[in-house]
Amino acid sequence: MSVQTQDKVQAQDKAIPKKRNYRPLRSTEKLKKTIKTYYFLTGTHRYWGKPLGRKLAWVTSGAPVELLRVFNIHPAYPEQYAAIYSTNKATAQLCQVAEAVGYSQDLCSYARSNIGGVLRPDLAPMGGMPKPDLLVACNNICGTVLKWYEALARHFNVPLLVLDTPYLTGEITEQALNYVLEQFKGMIKELEKITGRSFSEEELKKQLDLSRATTGLWKEARQYCQAQPSPLNAPDLFIHMAPIVVLRGTKKGRDYYEIFRDEVKERVSLGQGAIENERIRLVWDNIAIWPKLFNFNKMFTERGACFVTDTYSGGWAIDLAPGSPLESLAVTYTEVFLNRSPEFRAQQLIQLIRDYKAHGFVMHSNRSCKPYSLVQEVIRRKVMKETGVPGLMIEADMADPRAYAEETIRNRVQAFLETFD
Amino acid sequence: MAKVYVGVDIGSLTVKVVLINSEREILAHGTARAGYSGREVALNMVESLLTETGLKKEDVGGTVATGYGRVTFPADREVSEITCQAKGIHHLFPTAQTIIDIGGQDSKVIQLMPSGKVMDFAMNDKCAAGTGRFLEVMASALEVSLNEVGQLAAGSRHPTTISSFCTVFAESEVIGQVSAGTPKEDILAGVCEAVARRVSSLAQRISVLPDLVFTGGVARNQGVVKALERCLNQPLLIHSEPSITAALGAALLASQLH
Repeated sequence: MSVQTQDKVQAQDKAIPKKRNYRPLRSTEKLKKTIKTYYFLTGTHRYWGKPLGRKLAWVTSGAPVELLRVFNIHPAYPEQYAAIYSTNKATAQLCQVAEAVGYSQDLCSYARSNIGGVLRPDLAPMGGMPKPDLLVACNNICGTVLKWYEALARHFNVPLLVLDTPYLTGEITEQALNYVLEQFKGMIKELEKITGRSFSEEELKKQLDLSRATTGLWKEARQYCQAQPSPLNAPDLFIHMAPIVVLRGTKKGRDYYEIFRDEVKERVSLGQGAIENERIRLVWDNIAIWPKLFNFNKMFTERGACFVTDTYSGGWAIDLAPGSPLESLAVTYTEVFLNRSPEFRAQQLIQLIRDYKAHGFVMHSNRSCKPYSLVQEVIRRKVMKETGVPGLMIEADMADPRAYAEETIRNRVQAFLETFD
Repeated sequence: MAKVYVGVDIGSLTVKVVLINSEREILAHGTARAGYSGREVALNMVESLLTETGLKKEDVGGTVATGYGRVTFPADREVSEITCQAKGIHHLFPTAQTIIDIGGQDSKVIQLMPSGKVMDFAMNDKCAAGTGRFLEVMASALEVSLNEVGQLAAGSRHPTTISSFCTVFAESEVIGQVSAGTPKEDILAGVCEAVARRVSSLAQRISVLPDLVFTGGVARNQGVVKALERCLNQPLLIHSEPSITAALGAALLASQLH
């Protein structure tokens, strides 16, 4: 390179803001240990399950796990394993296994990679998931889980319990509540049969209290991000949300979030931001792009842009509904945000932008997740109109790396961030 | 004081360079096929344009690069085409609120604020139907040059409907029409219509507020211009050199660097 060109390149380096340093969380070490233990236990279930009289269930992320814990069931989450498959770069191959036996490429990539992992555990990280004793699916997150879990039930020849939560166009109705409560009766009977244990309302209350404590801590920690600079960036939230999904309702889960919350609180008191020179505060919508978690975010952090909050990990930052244990369970799980109207979700995003003083938002049009993604354009326009802040839409997939086009995404992200210059 | 500012747009098919003076007037501009190394073509073009205008490298006050090849070019800054296009068009058409830009592989719609800043934008994703590439492929299948497309399409009385979304499958359709004896003009009119339909649907998602400016290489194609005006039911403003407007925007940004 000629001297002149070198000067030009150096000048270019100066013109682009210096690479932002990413501040690592101390809690990450504890998180790793906590989650490793969970995976170890889950993976070795075939040794201790029978002796301890504990069944293993594959569970959708929105299922009322607290009810299962009453029966001392150990839950494993195919969606969560699918995220791990993705960060471990196994998804494309696993999806191809499922596609080869006839599953459509348009189907959710969590479903495809999970099925791929069932058919070819040798290709799946950690050797895939342990064999389930039962399957529990709740369609509050989507309708795909119904057919996905039916396929699994046929394959494993194990009982499938389905909870049908009616879609809420507005507030929850008496009718919807009663419908869900009625289903709980049947589920409880089935669970008693499968596990040989009796249902205890007292036990359920205890589980809900533990969940409440855990989600409360998660909510508190996330709310600290209203501070400027934000103590956390979206990747932190995506990584540290693992226990809220798989250990919600356990003492371990609650203990972890106490540590996490304390560290986040400390950062705020010290004025420590997740990224240096936070210049642009953004809200993220939809599931993370797991295969590109850090690479993708780098495009933002290197320009001083921080995702101070998001709608996805926020899905678990809820207050459990009041009422009797079963009522609380029914309302909480029917009111999951993906089961609500576009109007509700737009208001949620508007509130986040206001509360967290965001300059803009980014929506991940996630090919896999239809309920999350198909209404995004409607929400985007409404939110832009009401808040006056710009919203970027990018197209990718939460787990399948083949749907991520580097150049086109980079182009859009750059154009979007330039509007803040 | 610097005598000249340089804007370089290294696109997927062509490289464009614009030189402006400190009064923000265009001194010279050039367009060439990018080929394998858009960077080399751009470097050579900058050099020859400077020579043409009797200027030297030392006279250059700043350079901004844009387009897909921007990161490879040794400029003072690299800026996205969206920002550059907005800058260039706002300079040429201060009343523009909507920009429709169809390039080699991109179609994009940009909504501007009265200040000329970008308010919102949308681009085609993972699909080149409705872009310059689409027209190139069809023109080639019909053995006409791109320059002839507009004139020929204007002579059509019954435009054929091209139904495929995919450029490759549309080409098969076109070949099928040729074999069936459909007149070239009708097929070409159908091709222009297909591009216009695709892009107008993108525009309607973002903005169709006047004044609408149509830019990018495809804006030179009269067939697409007429079809697009029909689809949107609005007049389109077009610069005499639509392919260089992003490079112009880049040059304007270069003049504001320090």
